[in-house]
Amino acid sequence: MKIYDMLIICLRNLWRRKGRTLLTVIGVVIGSCAVIVMISLGLGMNKAMDSMLSSWGDLTAVTIFNGNGSGMMFVTDDSHYSGNSNKEKPPLNDDALEMLKNIDHVSYVIPKITLSNEMVTLCSGRSDRYRLGWGEIYGVDFSMLEKMGYEIEEGAIPNEHNYKESIIYGNEITYNFRDTKKHGNASMTAKQQLPDGSFTKPFVEPVGGDFKIGINNTKKPNEDGSYPYGGRGYEYKLTGAAVLKQDPNWETPYSIFIDIDLAKEIIESYNRLNGVKKAKAPEYSQVKIVCENIDSVDAVQKAVEDMGFTASSMAQVRSQMQGELGVIQMILGGLAAISLLVAAISITNTMIMSIYERTREIGIMKVLGCFIGNIRLLFLMEAGMIGLLGGIIGTIISYIISFIMNTFAGSAFAQILGFGGDGGEVSIIPIWLVLLALGFSTVIGLISGYYPANRAVKISALEAIKNE
Amino acid sequence: MAFISVKNLRKVYKIGNEKVYALKKIDLDIERGEICCILGTSGSGKSTLLNMLAGLEKPTRGDIFINGTNVAKLSEKKLARFRQENTGFIFQSYNLISQFNALENVGMPLMFKGMPRSKRDKISAKMLKLVGLGSRMKHRPNQMSGGQQQRVGIARAFVAKPNVVFADEPTGNLDTKTTDEVMRLMVRMCRKYNITLILVTHDLEIAGYSDRIVHIIDGEITSIEKNESVYSPEDDEKKESGPDNNTENSEVSEQ
Ligand SMILES: Nc1ncnc2c1ncn2[C@@H]1O[C@H](COP(=O)(O)OP(=O)(O)OP(=O)(O)O)[C@@H](O)[C@H]1O
Ligand SMILES: [Mg+2]
Repeated sequence: MKIYDMLIICLRNLWRRKGRTLLTVIGVVIGSCAVIVMISLGLGMNKAMDSMLSSWGDLTAVTIFNGNGSGMMFVTDDSHYSGNSNKEKPPLNDDALEMLKNIDHVSYVIPKITLSNEMVTLCSGRSDRYRLGWGEIYGVDFSMLEKMGYEIEEGAIPNEHNYKESIIYGNEITYNFRDTKKHGNASMTAKQQLPDGSFTKPFVEPVGGDFKIGINNTKKPNEDGSYPYGGRGYEYKLTGAAVLKQDPNWETPYSIFIDIDLAKEIIESYNRLNGVKKAKAPEYSQVKIVCENIDSVDAVQKAVEDMGFTASSMAQVRSQMQGELGVIQMILGGLAAISLLVAAISITNTMIMSIYERTREIGIMKVLGCFIGNIRLLFLMEAGMIGLLGGIIGTIISYIISFIMNTFAGSAFAQILGFGGDGGEVSIIPIWLVLLALGFSTVIGLISGYYPANRAVKISALEAIKNE
Repeated sequence: MAFISVKNLRKVYKIGNEKVYALKKIDLDIERGEICCILGTSGSGKSTLLNMLAGLEKPTRGDIFINGTNVAKLSEKKLARFRQENTGFIFQSYNLISQFNALENVGMPLMFKGMPRSKRDKISAKMLKLVGLGSRMKHRPNQMSGGQQQRVGIARAFVAKPNVVFADEPTGNLDTKTTDEVMRLMVRMCRKYNITLILVTHDLEIAGYSDRIVHIIDGEITSIEKNESVYSPEDDEKKESGPDNNTENSEVSEQ
């Protein structure tokens, strides 16, 4: 028998019992809709979670914070900490850096040195009139700036020969310079947009302006609690090179960057001036390890922790949150699966009824020489067609539901699910989900039709002879 | 060996502890092209014998050779192939598929063989014209009379040019006049293509259309009688040339 003929017969039989076919198809539509919508919500949740996490930090990064009492302060992310705190931590120096670079799946490492407000004073202008009130200075490898994903808003990344004479600002931090000649509000500027669209100017010129870093003498604090700084041999003159764009992780706006080698020199000077005994090689305050991809983050973090460092990564938070989301998704998916199961049972029921009605017909077909394989296929096709039809209609309806949810209920859903309604989609239906749903509903149909089809095959040719 | 050879055939139905001997011991030979009638009273075992010949039921004992193949020993799958190549079947209650039109009903055996639609439609149309239903091709069974439906049934049985056609009380639901027409049509078809016909009936009148009459009583053949005054299509042709041939036209043209 030709497949084409079977298809025609199958469609005719479905058409013959339009009402019943429709009802069965509706069952599948509801089931497949439930599955698609639930999965699409799950995908939406995952995406919202990822975008939320990446706003907290780079998802492919593992960050080591130096816990060895270097006396340096650093701002931490909201990251999750782990690692064995009892272990003696190895020094986070150049040797360690070399080892970290050699871990599998590590793309590159970015060491950072933090110079706290306590260690240095950053100022500008005649007789150091403008002084940085608050803000951290980071020593980073200027040649890595682009790799770190930092983009220039104004100015340019300094030339290799000028690394040690250059300073780079975040786009907000320049407003933290105070005018020491004034008091109260007059000593500060706030970043404000002017009617013509431009912004208020800070006291200093971040691009092209002259700056000075002075080492603090912490042994003799001033009366107001600040430290005297600078002096011969303890001052570094710098030129403003660039302002960085705000990065999505919000790392740059309140940061100031100098070259890492300069930062090392400054720490050595500080130690000399303040009598800190530090025979060992200078340590980094933070090392960011960038992995090849999200999936390798766990392994890298494990390796780093095995070396004795305290490391944190977003991947850890992510997998934890994913676990929690997974439970919600399983519950939703389970509900959807139940409705699909009901649909499957109703397909089986429909097929059994249909075979019962067509007992004689099947007998006649056998007497006229129809292969039993063809009879089986005919009924499987019918059941599969119900599944496929339900899947197609279900997909279309799912798209509509998804559209409605994304357009009208987006923020409401986001609130219920605990994610900030950042305008992202709550429900995502990628092509693979559509194909999966169509395939799945067809397979459900075929499975549901398997038992009835085998029953049809067993009907005796004698049924054709029996007089009703 | 004869074209159809039945040897030592027995069929026993068990109902609880009771055994019903539908066929006790049947031996029968039928030649190719022969029209053989199995005649007997109700419950004598005619249908049981025919069903077994057509391979619809397995015998309790014995063999049935058709064209050299032991039908009693065929698997379901081989049986289907055997039916496609060798047999046609005419039912008492026509057994047309209600959602198929006449043309599609006739084409069913060809469809099961895997013949493409256009080709089998051509053959089926020719067949329908032959049984005088050339203008009813698109009609559904419920739009036709019993006689017309049985003509479609006959066309369907002969469409694949089988070696043997089985018919169980093919005129059981028809009036006398239509019975005559249908019987003549069947005989003509068999003669035209040299097809063996095995016909089951309890009606002596119908038995008159066959070459040989096998009398069966209580599952046993009691006598086999050769029919000397057998109907022949040539008789019609002679009549056709004669003066009163009104009945003949109604057979060929549809009513
Ligand atoms: N499936 C069955 N189960 C039990 N007994 C059966 C079965 N089929 C037939 N018989 C018995 O076998 C015998 C022969 O039945 P069969 O149908 O061959 O009769 P028949 O000659 O065709 O009669 P009729 O002219 O009424 O159709 C009967 O006694 C019947 O009761
Ligand atoms: Mg009978």
